[in-house]
Amino acid sequence: MSVVSTDSRVFKLARTESAGRTGRWAVVAGRLALRAALGLLLPLALFLLWRHAVARQWVPEQILPGPDLVWQSIKDLWDSGELLDHLAISAKRVGWSLVIGTGAGLVLGFGMGLSRTVRAYVAPTFDVVSQFPVLGWIPILMIFVGIDEALKISAISIAVVVPVAVNAQKGIANIPRALFEVGRVYGFTGAQVVRRVVLPAAAPSLFTGVRQAVMQAWLTLVFVELLASSEGIGYLMVWGRQLAQLDLVVVGMLVIGVVGVVLDLALRLVEARLQRWRVAAF
Amino acid sequence: MKRRTFTALLGAAPALALNPLRAFGAEEKPAVIRIGFPNAGTGGRPLGGGSFPHNAHHLRAIDEEFKADGIRVEWKFFPGAGPALNESLANGLVDFGFGHGDLPLIVGRSTGLKHKVLMSSGRGGDQYFVVPSASPAKALADLKGKRIATFKGTAGQLTLYRFFDKFNVNEKDYRIISLDNDSTLAALATGDIDGTVRLPFDVEARGVGRRIHEILDDWYITRPGTVWASEAFEQRYPHIVQRVVNRLVKVAYWSTQDANRERQYQLWSTSGTPYVDYKKGWERTKDLRNRMNPHLDEYYVTSITKSIEEAKKYKLIRRDVSLDGWLEPKYLQAALKEQKLEDYWPQQDGSGNFKVAGRKV
Amino acid sequence: MSVMSNTERFNWRGLVLPAALLALWVVATSAGWVDTKLIVAPGSVARVALHTMADPLFWQGVAYSLGRDVSGFAVGAVGGIVLGTLLGVSRLADRILGPTFHTVRQISLFAWLPLLSSWLGYGELSKLVFIALSTLYPVALGTFEGVRGVTKAHAEVARVFRFSAGQTLWRLILPAASPQIATGLTLGLVYAWVATIGSEFLLANWGNGLGNIVIKGRAAFNVELIVFGMLAIGLVGVFFNKVAARLEAKALAWRGPVR
Repeated sequence: MSVVSTDSRVFKLARTESAGRTGRWAVVAGRLALRAALGLLLPLALFLLWRHAVARQWVPEQILPGPDLVWQSIKDLWDSGELLDHLAISAKRVGWSLVIGTGAGLVLGFGMGLSRTVRAYVAPTFDVVSQFPVLGWIPILMIFVGIDEALKISAISIAVVVPVAVNAQKGIANIPRALFEVGRVYGFTGAQVVRRVVLPAAAPSLFTGVRQAVMQAWLTLVFVELLASSEGIGYLMVWGRQLAQLDLVVVGMLVIGVVGVVLDLALRLVEARLQRWRVAAF
Repeated sequence: MKRRTFTALLGAAPALALNPLRAFGAEEKPAVIRIGFPNAGTGGRPLGGGSFPHNAHHLRAIDEEFKADGIRVEWKFFPGAGPALNESLANGLVDFGFGHGDLPLIVGRSTGLKHKVLMSSGRGGDQYFVVPSASPAKALADLKGKRIATFKGTAGQLTLYRFFDKFNVNEKDYRIISLDNDSTLAALATGDIDGTVRLPFDVEARGVGRRIHEILDDWYITRPGTVWASEAFEQRYPHIVQRVVNRLVKVAYWSTQDANRERQYQLWSTSGTPYVDYKKGWERTKDLRNRMNPHLDEYYVTSITKSIEEAKKYKLIRRDVSLDGWLEPKYLQAALKEQKLEDYWPQQDGSGNFKVAGRKV
Repeated sequence: MSVMSNTERFNWRGLVLPAALLALWVVATSAGWVDTKLIVAPGSVARVALHTMADPLFWQGVAYSLGRDVSGFAVGAVGGIVLGTLLGVSRLADRILGPTFHTVRQISLFAWLPLLSSWLGYGELSKLVFIALSTLYPVALGTFEGVRGVTKAHAEVARVFRFSAGQTLWRLILPAASPQIATGLTLGLVYAWVATIGSEFLLANWGNGLGNIVIKGRAAFNVELIVFGMLAIGLVGVFFNKVAARLEAKALAWRGPVR
């Protein structure tokens, strides 16, 4: 219970205060090590269970590939360069869609946030359409733009536009009127208002929007690649499935997970940096 | 232990409930026979066509056979084609495969799936390469760098590779996209793919595509399908397997009667594949026995062996596949003997030449 | 999500854009600017729509999809609240389960489908599991953040009143965390619908459901059916969103105007 642990933590801290600097460092390091160990406990247990299940054939081997096979496949794919190729293609798709989608989303969001007229005309439609699941668009997109890159990029862009626009709009709506007053007092032009008032103030919301957009982008990418593709990580998984090489499916999942983690961390870092600047600026 | 036992228990429970006599050593019977087709009709509907095992489904022949014994027959259709049937077998959810293509069959065996080949489900026919009607291409070579659709992991993939072989082009020069049947048709219509192996009659009639290659009566490009029983089922209920095989042979005999040709086209077209595709696709076959032939003859063995080589060459399998102990023709032999049909069907050698002609009818 | 104030008069300007788009659609198809095989006229979509809605099978399909959605959501939501509470309340559980939870969360949900369908097949079970999983994450995350945010002051109250563990949980922690839990549930509801449709597309088995209708449309190359299906899916999605927002507002209403 948090109550108890809070108490004991306070107690521990009091103890370490008196232990001196080196002592304190040792305690901190030790605690970090303990945290890492605890965090790894579950994955380790699952890994052992996996190995055991495969060795004892609890699940037919065609359905659950063993860790050695998966590791071997990762090495093979890495060596042959195929892994990076597929990843690059998937990444390119997400990259382009992020550019297009974020651009469109910012335009929409800023438009709706800053101009009451725009909001009146556009917001109701946007409100409804943005709540359509992206998946619903895909069969139609398939007919209109085919099954090639255009499909992937348009589908992912749609998935990106929504969180960016929504959060941009929210961010602007939350800007205190006072800041706009300040802009008016200083005689800012429209562009200056945007650059020096709106952007910094709405930045945290924008960031949330971008983070959500990245997650949606990846989600949609995997879906589209599973549905119709000839290269990419999702395709790798489909290929593995068709040839009963489920280790490829696992490899695909691992790669997607790793990329997801890396992206999330990177975005958080950038966000933290920007926050610091923002706080300092005010 | 956990999942296999669980699934086995799940399968055994109804059997135990319905067959208390089992405990007393009476002849074992399963409560249900699960038959899988490595395909499905358009939109995934549970209907098919083009072979005598499919006729067995349309005519409910197997159901009839076991009605008196109180054994239910479950027919399963897999839109995911051969690979999906493999998965189902791996999970212990199917007992028979009616008409498995050679590539998924081989892939399955290479990953350790245990089944026994009982008979061939059909062979022969003609192959065509189709392009969208607006395409200017005149030959496969014109499509270098373009997108070709095939359903990866199915026999169709090997067919495509053999097309490449025949026309002396390299598969690496093409972008091969994996699409199922329905998606291929849609993609052909919208021009999203530049070519595929497919029967041309319906797409030509609709103005959606046209053929640029036809390969007629080529026994290398076409390969026989397979009827198998899972090893587990075969070991436990050999008498049931024999009865299934007997019935299939009866249906095969029925299917090769010219008088029943039209009826078959009608039944098959309920799967969604248009009537014209079946009619035109089969009208060159004067003697239906040439395509609906259950024999595990030299042609069958050679064909499978060649497909194994190719699967290895294209790195579609990671472990070698041997034919040892895989083919189990004894059931077929017994059925043919019992129905006096041993000489009814022709037999072919490794290159497809007719070594032994079929009985004069 | 709408920024429009509800107390104003009905905003006629909001209809301008959709009306204009509709007009464009009608003109483009009737004047033949576009290939009508691909971009079908709204008239024929309406016709197909009416025809389909008159068919009881359609409503059966909708019922199936909704049924899956709701059951999957229920399972996932309960699991999510349990998991989130566990992670928030017990530091130890957070240390052990947390890292794995957060990492696995990064694996795009749909990436699980090939493996899931290998293990559980293409039937109801795999769809339900998938929907439950999609719901579990946002709900667990929301609950976790809410429970974690229970302040020391709240904890003091619990100690002063000598609440038992159960009472602390039910009468203090969960209510205090309810805004975040509600947000999580809202997100979960949206995700559940996306997962329902996604699983119907990717785990197609000629079963019943709204997604299947679209698939049949694709198979028959009936573009009107596809458009109608898409509209139906979208509208249900919108409906869920609105319902969720309403419920969220209601759930938080008890907290009163002052915190």
